[in-house]
Amino acid sequence: MRSIKINHYCRGLRAGVPVIFGFIPTGIAYAIMARQAGFTVAQTCLMSLSVFAGASQMMAAGMVAQGASVIAIILATFILNLRHIIMSVCVFRRMRADRIVIKLLAAFGVTDESFAIFTTESEQNCSVWFFLGMITVTYSSWNLGSLIGAVALELLPAAVTASFGIALYAMFIAIIMPGLRVNFKLVALVLLTAVCNTVFNAFLDSSWSIVISTLVCAFIGVFFVELEEEETDEQH
Amino acid sequence: MSSTKVIILLVGMMLVTYIPRAIPAVLLEKMKFGKKTEKFLKLIPYTAMTSLVVPGVFEVDAANPAIGIIGGAVAGVLAWFKCPVMVCVLGAIAVDFLIYFII
Repeated sequence: MRSIKINHYCRGLRAGVPVIFGFIPTGIAYAIMARQAGFTVAQTCLMSLSVFAGASQMMAAGMVAQGASVIAIILATFILNLRHIIMSVCVFRRMRADRIVIKLLAAFGVTDESFAIFTTESEQNCSVWFFLGMITVTYSSWNLGSLIGAVALELLPAAVTASFGIALYAMFIAIIMPGLRVNFKLVALVLLTAVCNTVFNAFLDSSWSIVISTLVCAFIGVFFVELEEEETDEQH
Repeated sequence: MSSTKVIILLVGMMLVTYIPRAIPAVLLEKMKFGKKTEKFLKLIPYTAMTSLVVPGVFEVDAANPAIGIIGGAVAGVLAWFKCPVMVCVLGAIAVDFLIYFII
């Protein structure tokens, strides 16, 4: 049993590697914002250690810079993180066999990125150990990025940091593509979602827009998309 | 902001971030879903990731939407030809770096 756990953990570590290229630069960007908003180096790093949510942390830094109240920032963070309830349902649906205590540890690492990798991984790899391996990598790189940004504000040339901005988007695209290659109804659903989210985004806050278009379009998809059993898994 | 306020802020943010992530871990222990619900949950990764990419990718560089569009297209094409996720990410970064280098 022990070796299966270690095996899953190591697979998880490997699966988390692409996230490094997104998280270190994003962590740096967050830390620069936080430092500019008046956080100390320690506070900047502490936020990454305790919260571990990129978008929320950047928003918090921005709001502090504008003089927002603590309550307002916490409320905004809560709203921004509501989508993680949906993601968490999808993640923990695939970990039924694992113990609750260890799942509560894993819950800390549910982010857009770990959700993306885990829910498209093949079922036989999916255990809490795989997930823990993955978030070991994502959590370390997020905190490493924050530390670099907090201590060394402007050491990196702008062209380097700017070109890393595409990393997480590239990862999401690369993750869904294998499923799309073999299922054109799924392509139609993805196009529908893209249009929906662009429209909602024009008059809603982007975090609400993401939640609504994710749920509404998945619901519509139930009626016209045909999924083979574990179809997304054969590509991995 | 005083350091006491920062600590309150951090604790508050930690709680409102962790709780939504942890609730499903507890609630899903004994739950079973119907076929339609299972399908709905399987489709969510696709709709969620699409929503994360579009329209955000157009604003990777707010001054120059081409950065996001070309970078995203490179990742898409590489993934279409079955390149590993890692190669797609590095390819997109490299092409965007080249564009910045040229302009």
